[in-house]
Amino acid sequence: MKRKLLRKELRLSRHPAALLMPWLSALCLVPNYPYPVMYFYLTLGVFFICMSGRENNDVGFTLTLPVTRRDLVAARFGFVMLLEGFQLLLACGFVALRALLFADRGSNAAGMDANLALIGEGFLFYAAFHLVFFPSYYRDVTKVGLSFVKSSVVLALLLVAEIVACYAVPFWRDTLDRPDPELFPAKLLFLGLCVLCYALATVAALRVSQRRFARLDLR
Amino acid sequence: MNGPLTVEGLGKVYPGFSLGPLGFALEPGKITGFIGRNGAGKTTTLHAVVGFLRPDSGTVRFWGQALEGHEALLRQRVGFVSAGMRFYQRQSLKRITDTLRPFYTRWDEGAYRRCLRRFALDEGKTPEKLSNGMQLKYLLSLALSHGAELLLLDEPTSGLDPVSRAEVLETLLTLRDAGCTVLFSTHITSDLEKTADRILYLSRGELKADCTLDDFTDAWRLYHGTADAVAALPPELVHGRRRSREGLSALLRRADADALGLPCESAGLEDVMVHLEQEADEHEA
Repeated sequence: MKRKLLRKELRLSRHPAALLMPWLSALCLVPNYPYPVMYFYLTLGVFFICMSGRENNDVGFTLTLPVTRRDLVAARFGFVMLLEGFQLLLACGFVALRALLFADRGSNAAGMDANLALIGEGFLFYAAFHLVFFPSYYRDVTKVGLSFVKSSVVLALLLVAEIVACYAVPFWRDTLDRPDPELFPAKLLFLGLCVLCYALATVAALRVSQRRFARLDLR
Repeated sequence: MNGPLTVEGLGKVYPGFSLGPLGFALEPGKITGFIGRNGAGKTTTLHAVVGFLRPDSGTVRFWGQALEGHEALLRQRVGFVSAGMRFYQRQSLKRITDTLRPFYTRWDEGAYRRCLRRFALDEGKTPEKLSNGMQLKYLLSLALSHGAELLLLDEPTSGLDPVSRAEVLETLLTLRDAGCTVLFSTHITSDLEKTADRILYLSRGELKADCTLDDFTDAWRLYHGTADAVAALPPELVHGRRRSREGLSALLRRADADALGLPCESAGLEDVMVHLEQEADEHEA
């Protein structure tokens, strides 16, 4: 049933803008740019999906199908994770392309370099988004904007912290914010930890969201 | 207990409105009309039954099983259509159906195609290009195509032209004859007089009647007279009065009308409902 719901998400619930957002990984090619902003754009795409879902009565209509409320939430998580995975894959490609084309351009003055650690940060940003946005959204699916404002504030704070860390935190400055392939094993370890955080945060967000949605009255 | 739908002690409290506790059971293979004025709680009841709302109290059972824990299985056997329900405004009907069809294990493509023809639906169109009535016909087509044994319909004929309404009613009667159970709410009482076997009458969140249509209307008589003649009736026997061509109409219990020897006429479903609501308004005032 989850697979059918995921198919429904891809065919009916998707929003055209949300499908374009992963391609903003190409921002990695822009010199001196706060690259994690591209992760924020993807969350904007998720907001569009949920907003258009509200206008199209996506949740109410889906609940008339032979599905459970738990599966409905899980399918939305699955859809968003697919988009995130696609964006990170593209980001890997653009990071590699940047290394090939602009190896001589020096370090990024606006935060993390386009490197492997940036991919790890993507998992951290998504983890924070899952933890803040979805439990709020599934408390009341009509208040999409409020949920997005909450998650955007958190992501904005994370972005500022990331830029500061690239200048002020020794591990970030001296180990992570270095062009590839310098200190690759350390960055790989960082990526692994970020993936672990992402997995734990997503499971926690999913459980809280399912619990809240189970109690929700649809109006 | 194991009928298609059994509701016991169903209650939901909102600020300014309280539903229930309601209890009723649908008879298998019958059409039950759900009537009541706007705001009586019909949609709230239906939403609580299909699981859109979480009731504060009571139980809802389909064939003896609670929805919780059996949602997916039971929704295979239940169809729900609501007149105001919006859905995927910019997707073609074909795309929507192609996506939803795999969810149903008993999807009947032949029945779906027959509905499209009967309702003159063009699968290439998107809901935003259809009138409300045509959107409703599409939703009905979906509900009628997955082999639902129980249909819960919230104002399924509102917004339809008379010909389409007649087609929908005819379809419901055919489904009933095939053993399908139907509960539908409507303000168009003439639709119920043509189709309903039983009536649930909801007023201000309380279930006032749960009986056959004939029992519901046979229990009442309508007296038409001048204002003075109606005023002369024992007030405790009059259950609501309305203005009419002759002056006023008054609703009386059949036994009371017979005892008074008044020249009364049979009361229709709408007559009974509007007079009882008038009485309730007067009591509230």
